[in-house]
Amino acid sequence: MDEFEKELRQSFERQMAPSGLKAKIMLRRRGTAQQRSFSLFAWRGLAASLVSVSLCILAALAIYSGHERHEAEKERQGEAVRQQVMTALRITNHALNHMNRQLAAHNHAHRD
Amino acid sequence: MAHDWQPDFEQLVDEHQSMVFSLALRMTGDHGLAEEIAQDVFLELDRHLGRMESRDHVRFWLRRVAMSRSADALRRRTARRMDLWVEIEEGHGMQLEDRPSPLGSRLEGLLATLPEAQRAALILRYQEDLTPKEIAATLEAPLATVKSNLQRGLKLLRAKAGESLKEYVRGA
Repeated sequence: MDEFEKELRQSFERQMAPSGLKAKIMLRRRGTAQQRSFSLFAWRGLAASLVSVSLCILAALAIYSGHERHEAEKERQGEAVRQQVMTALRITNHALNHMNRQLAAHNHAHRD
Repeated sequence: MAHDWQPDFEQLVDEHQSMVFSLALRMTGDHGLAEEIAQDVFLELDRHLGRMESRDHVRFWLRRVAMSRSADALRRRTARRMDLWVEIEEGHGMQLEDRPSPLGSRLEGLLATLPEAQRAALILRYQEDLTPKEIAATLEAPLATVKSNLQRGLKLLRAKAGESLKEYVRGA
């Protein structure tokens, strides 16, 4: 190593870092950590909200589905009742027709 | 591989802030920018602290990232056509006792005129006292390239110093 290189080594000694550098680093580090924890908190909050909203939607769907089933069942029962009434009316009508025919035959025989 | 060493971030900042700041300052020539780079490098270290295996690993990692971030900053500054070394020339942002001697300042100014790769090799050689092999590992460059950059950089710096500082002609 010649004189020039020795001079170079002396000139290129490490310089003292600015006095506030460490404090700035630690401050930014705390800020970053807070930001990270806030992000984590925000993500957790968002996840909890999403789960709550999903549960609400599922519950609403279940209620709606039950209501629909109940309505369909009521409709089916109503139709069955209607069919029974129609059948009863048909039987009554048939019986009345039969009676009417017998009365007509009886009247006809009485006139003769 | 498991390692027993438990890094203490604050202690690492204490230990290495001068090294990181000096590397950034000599690479960029800008006191404020060097301080910003040093902050960013240490915050990056904080994120990677779990991967650090030893004090030597931290020192190597800090040198590599400081040089890399400084080179990135230089490229961004060059792209914006901003004049570097303004602060060193004018001494802005530096306390009086922190300012280098006129001779040292002249050499630092001359260093700034070297190509980036030669400057990086010389800084690691004469500030950090690294061997060419260690410089190659730090800069992730081939050993032959580093040796060439060291030789050319030193020759160029000596020539420039010879022009402006006549007393160094004898040593050339």
